[in-house]
Amino acid sequence: MKKANLGKRILSALLAACMIATLVGCSTTPNVPNNGGNNIGSSEANKTNTGGGGVMTDVGTPRSETLVVDILSGRIANPNLYNPYVPGNVPMDAGVHQLLHGHLWEIDTVKGEQFPDLAATMPELVQGKKNTYTFKMKENLKWSDGEALDANDVAFTFNMLLKSKELAFGAVVRETVESCRALDNLTVEIVTHNPEPKLSQKFGVTIFGNGLIVVPEHIWKDQNPVTFTYSNPLSSGPYTLKDKDPQGYWFLYEKRADWKNTAVGQTAGEPGPQYILFKSYGSEEKRVMAAISNEIDVLQDITPESWDILKKKNPESMAWYSGFPYADTNDPCERGIGFNCSDPIYGRTNVRWALALATDIKNVSLATFDGMLRVSPLQLPPTDVLMKTYHKPMTEWLKNFALEDGYKPFDDSYARDMVKTLKQQGKEGLPESEQDIIDVFGVGWWRYDVEEAGKLLEKEGFKKVDNIWHKPDGSVWEMSILAPADFEIESMRLAFAVADSWNKFGVKTTVVQQDAATFWNNEATGNFSAGSYWPACGILPDSSVNMEHWNSKYIVPTGEQAPGNRYRWGGAGNNKVTAKLNELMQLPSDDPKVIEDVTEICKTFVAEQPFIPMFGTSKFVPVTTHYWKGFQTSENQFEGPWWWWSQFKYYTPHLQPTGN
Amino acid sequence: MKFLKFLGSRLVTYVFTILVGMTIVFFIPRFMPSDPVESMLGQMMSKSSSMDPASVDAMRQTLNENFGLNGSLGEQYIGYMGRVIFTRDFGPSLTMYPVPVKDLIATSLPWTIGLLGISTVISWIIGNAIGLLAGIKKDKVYSKVLEGISICIYPIPYYIFALTLIMLFAYIIPIFPLSANFNVSGFSWENLKTIVWNSILPALSLILTGTGWWVISMMSLSRNTNEEDFVSFARIKGLKERRVISGYILPNTILPQITMLALQMGTIFNGALITEILFNYPGIGSLIYRGVLQADYNLIMGTITISIFAVATATLVVDLIYPFIDPRVRYN
Repeated sequence: MKKANLGKRILSALLAACMIATLVGCSTTPNVPNNGGNNIGSSEANKTNTGGGGVMTDVGTPRSETLVVDILSGRIANPNLYNPYVPGNVPMDAGVHQLLHGHLWEIDTVKGEQFPDLAATMPELVQGKKNTYTFKMKENLKWSDGEALDANDVAFTFNMLLKSKELAFGAVVRETVESCRALDNLTVEIVTHNPEPKLSQKFGVTIFGNGLIVVPEHIWKDQNPVTFTYSNPLSSGPYTLKDKDPQGYWFLYEKRADWKNTAVGQTAGEPGPQYILFKSYGSEEKRVMAAISNEIDVLQDITPESWDILKKKNPESMAWYSGFPYADTNDPCERGIGFNCSDPIYGRTNVRWALALATDIKNVSLATFDGMLRVSPLQLPPTDVLMKTYHKPMTEWLKNFALEDGYKPFDDSYARDMVKTLKQQGKEGLPESEQDIIDVFGVGWWRYDVEEAGKLLEKEGFKKVDNIWHKPDGSVWEMSILAPADFEIESMRLAFAVADSWNKFGVKTTVVQQDAATFWNNEATGNFSAGSYWPACGILPDSSVNMEHWNSKYIVPTGEQAPGNRYRWGGAGNNKVTAKLNELMQLPSDDPKVIEDVTEICKTFVAEQPFIPMFGTSKFVPVTTHYWKGFQTSENQFEGPWWWWSQFKYYTPHLQPTGN
Repeated sequence: MKFLKFLGSRLVTYVFTILVGMTIVFFIPRFMPSDPVESMLGQMMSKSSSMDPASVDAMRQTLNENFGLNGSLGEQYIGYMGRVIFTRDFGPSLTMYPVPVKDLIATSLPWTIGLLGISTVISWIIGNAIGLLAGIKKDKVYSKVLEGISICIYPIPYYIFALTLIMLFAYIIPIFPLSANFNVSGFSWENLKTIVWNSILPALSLILTGTGWWVISMMSLSRNTNEEDFVSFARIKGLKERRVISGYILPNTILPQITMLALQMGTIFNGALITEILFNYPGIGSLIYRGVLQADYNLIMGTITISIFAVATATLVVDLIYPFIDPRVRYN
């Protein structure tokens, strides 16, 4: 009897505990009506109703006035360190360079050219003075504390970096700049060691951001720049830092009342959102759940599978394209496989070409990102600007390009074949016209021709025995492709897909996934034979700055850390490229010879393939439009969807509340 | 005298273990094929800033100097051991330079101790209670049900289980927040309420998945002890069942569980990485993970040294209190 009572008491206590928990839960988180549409579940537990009925965010701002943006880098370990020149500071993509920091020059990825941001003009060479450049600052710019932002701040920043040997970016500045001064409040003069016709590309934005962040002289002048945490940063952008999570999961920015005294305000207009909340939700599953519930407006990188779920569960979600391929394919870096060309096997052009021809690029595309990739045969990413400048004009040359034995490897039917395959898979919304098909899928790639690949290998002394390739020394040809472990998912998947092709061809290929530190270190020291890296980047038609790292002067033996040319590519081909690069570095970007020289460089890369470029990077970076409208898309392409780039601040005037 | 000898030998082992552990943790990251400077530069280059290779090389040299990575391995080792032993300074984090590693640990560790400490103790209590019931009352329905539930949850991978909890209680039935918000600093009842509320789901995931092991082990121990002659004799003597359990079965079964609990409390200093990632919990696990990913030598050494210290201390404490708990050890 007593035992039965004990059991009953325990059961009662458990039931009571459950009831209390439920009651507490219900009282703290009132049910918010469904948003409409096909949302399953609504994670409204973050939000509380105000007395007036408007939903609030969990940081205390009205949801209808707050744009919520995903943080690409996740949680920030030290959310109080805003000094832009020391490692471990709050990463730029946590809203820092997107909203707080302006740059001297920004990038317009649609036009493929830079434009003045904090500066009013591009740098100009002073006639009669060697290596001396001047530029003007915009008038009436102010820091967020009301102090003037002018040439004195720029000169102070440069001189601080020149003097401080402990700031890593100071080394970059010292390599280029001899001196910097403010001629007056609006004019900056920079004297460089050598002619620098591309000065704005070195100290302005071409992709993502730039290491040069102008700091306020009146705050920094009495500080030690190495130890100054700058935990209450002033803003030169249209927003200020209003609040932050001490644990580093979110940062809240508020529109400046004096937004007209910012470069964005002067050139683009008033930003739309009153508040912008950069928040890390954690794993991809949680980020997608948050987007389905309209808790987040702007998502960073997600996989195609997650996009599939999101678009089904939240009809208010939107990707770059409204139909296939959905993702934006204009990311300025392309993906492929790079080789250590100092290796006796991978140093042979015929071997690299054989591997290129042994790659079933269509299957690789399907396996990597479900076919939503734009192919690239050139050493430049297939962005709209570079397709127009290089890929399309070079198509005829590519068709006529032949290997040593006269074989013409280029196949311009890739795009059409992909459309056919995807239609068979039931994909809808595919492009119809020839031009649209090429714009989406690229100009073409190399034929999948294992026979020709075999011939090239046999020429090099390789033998195929029992469907396995053997090296000239008789041993089985085994290779590994290094790939990122838990970042850059496209490169990671690409490595597996390519390995599959090469295994079918008869080369025993494994993929070795590595964490970031190891992955980059191996590239720098040449401790790899093949790797799924992305050394080919560019946005501007003058891509010489992005190609400069191939210069032969940077070649060092395997085992040493290479400052450039991490693929140790030398020889006659590289000598040609190096000569062109040296020429290009002396030319201003608008010189007509630039495109000619870059084209010649591309031709040499095609012939030698030290890095086999395969695809542009497809970015699934969708938005939800329940609270905000005006986002850029393929139909409203005022810019690309580069939410983690510094140019984000220029999107804000386009964003307007929906009224929800 | 015997106890002093015992204490002395334990203390010597304790100090030796920590020194050897610290030495291993110093050398191993340096033999890994990763480099903190290269990782940093690689990430900058992957964002494709327009730095020419000569500038990158200059930056590399500066970073190596700043981080104290110049000099021989021996010199670095002696400097590191001296700094840690005499000033308890692990140096600055390389990836969050110049923030001291000890400051980063001091910020994250209390969160880990709070969550994991409490979850471990609760799962220990619940697990042992269910295990005891299941072992003694193996024929009762409620005992079988509780045992069954615990054993079913036990093999489920933690990630799946935790994600299921999130989906159930933060998405489908939105009781808890999808993304925890620990925007607190300083003590106040309001802050405590925020912390507790945001910690319920991660704690629940740890408690439920941690209970299984205690159930299984306690069940086995209590079942065996229940079959012992002295227990049967106690029942025959006419002792009440409560007295038999508390006086005869529990003291004999709980000792190994206390040992395991003490050791497990030591390991909580490793953090719970998956919990922290899934629930946005600001613990030390993600600090260790970041250190390993970025090859942040000082951060790896600092966090793992703390862990070594904690486990060694827990082992020492268990060794020292055991004679007082188990008279058989004391007599021996």
